[in-house]
Amino acid sequence: MEIYLPIAEMSVHWLLLFGVGGAVGFLSGMFGVGGGFLLTPLLIFYGIPSGVAVATTTSHVTASSMSGALAHWRNRAVDLKLGAVMTVSGIVGTGVGVWLFGLLREAGQMELIVSASYVILLGTIGTLMLRESLETLAASRRGEQAPSARAQHHNWIHGLPLKMRFRDSRLYISVIPPVLIGFTVGVLSAIMGIGGGFVLVPALIYLVRVPANIVMGTSLLQIIFVTASSTILHSVSDFTVDIVLAGILISGGVIGAQLGVRMAARMRGEQLRFWLAVLVLAVGARLLYGLLVSPGDPFSTSVDAP
Amino acid sequence: MKRVLIAICLAMCAGAAEADDLVAGLSQDIIQITSNYTGTDIVAFGAIENMNVMTAAGPLDIVVAVRGPDADITVRKKERVAGIWLNNHGVVMRAIPSYYYVASTRPLSAIAPEDTLRRYELGLDLVEPDSTTARTPAIAEPYRQALVRHKLIEGLYNENAGGVEFLSPTLFRARVPVPADVPRGQYNVQVYLFRDGNVVSAQSTPLYVDQTGLERRLFNFAHQEPFAYGISTVLMAAALGWLSSLVFRRIT
Repeated sequence: MEIYLPIAEMSVHWLLLFGVGGAVGFLSGMFGVGGGFLLTPLLIFYGIPSGVAVATTTSHVTASSMSGALAHWRNRAVDLKLGAVMTVSGIVGTGVGVWLFGLLREAGQMELIVSASYVILLGTIGTLMLRESLETLAASRRGEQAPSARAQHHNWIHGLPLKMRFRDSRLYISVIPPVLIGFTVGVLSAIMGIGGGFVLVPALIYLVRVPANIVMGTSLLQIIFVTASSTILHSVSDFTVDIVLAGILISGGVIGAQLGVRMAARMRGEQLRFWLAVLVLAVGARLLYGLLVSPGDPFSTSVDAP
Repeated sequence: MKRVLIAICLAMCAGAAEADDLVAGLSQDIIQITSNYTGTDIVAFGAIENMNVMTAAGPLDIVVAVRGPDADITVRKKERVAGIWLNNHGVVMRAIPSYYYVASTRPLSAIAPEDTLRRYELGLDLVEPDSTTARTPAIAEPYRQALVRHKLIEGLYNENAGGVEFLSPTLFRARVPVPADVPRGQYNVQVYLFRDGNVVSAQSTPLYVDQTGLERRLFNFAHQEPFAYGISTVLMAAALGWLSSLVFRRIT
């Protein structure tokens, strides 16, 4: 049951990690998010060095996104053009992110920055999503037509230049918001070991107003390329990708992701968004707790790279 | 490294002065880490050869000390700043053993005075880095203690008074635990013969811990051709993702 990881240089219980990969994959298929925001903290909690946890999680996200994106692709729920725009800006973002990752690691503040940015991101997005989904759920319970997230009048985003037509999403908008979103997600991916789906999905729905059925597939498409880029850059710059660990997590993850996609097909959109909001807030609250409550042992150790 | 050199020098000097007082060996001198490696025990054994030593007055004691390759380890301390716990101060311990195990026939404090133990760095209280980034040793001390505490929990540092047992008046042996996540590199096993609180003989034996087989190849691949390694990881991920999608479409 134990297997030795050549890069992490420790032996782990492979069946347990296979299960963890599967559970995270299930959530990722269900919500169209990569699941990295769950997997990285879980691996660190298991005892995997944080550098290896971040870098290896990115490859798990690549695989579960691949699995999920293909399912959406067959349902014709992917906007290729929008995905391509965000992929290019996302890859530039990962380059910046890997560079920042190195700086933070040297300063010993990586853990703090990662936790703090998680708390801010998860808190904000979780609250927004929870409020919105509760309103929709309440409205549909009263038997009213649920107010569509898209059916609102023009916002400030429509005033921006460089307009582009995205036919699959039935949008004619400036290219600046998708580029900025893609870039930000790329940076986050490299620093936090996440795909960034939990930022991407709400941003595409609420800011860019991409139709909900297109969002999942398109965000997964971008996540595949961004996390692939992160994995390669981490391999080259800090040798922290463990291919054996990746193999175990991915094998569980892709099975979970397929089951998750099937589960999602049976649930209603607003219910999905409600549960994703709850999950996002729970992880954020856990991390906030870690920052505010006095640690049992204030000391931590890390072996310096030779 | 400094103390290893001292120990080796002492061992040789002692050896030259009183030839073959002590012979010692290991049950294996190389530990190979394979995919199913979950930690092991090695046995250090030896014999006191010189009968003059045996018959002389005063109690005899054996101390076995095993040190892993030196590493630079940063110890950071969290402090509360504006309500948030963050790493505020850090001290780098330069060249401190990554693994340390000392076994003895009796508690170390009963074997020799502290000065002697300090010279040979015997005991968890006396494991020291070559230098630190702290301004004074007093500032570094709580950080050093924290490091020892963490290493104890990980099973990479330990002290076992009574860990050396005599099988006969001259034969002794000690079991050395090597946990699953030991760092790779060259270890040194030092065996000291104490009489009346002084080292009368010492011997140093190297022990190698290394990965072999597939683990070794993957480690080399990751470090020698990182770009190809990264691409391979991504291709594996993409292939598994695609495969699962294909398999599940067949099933349903």
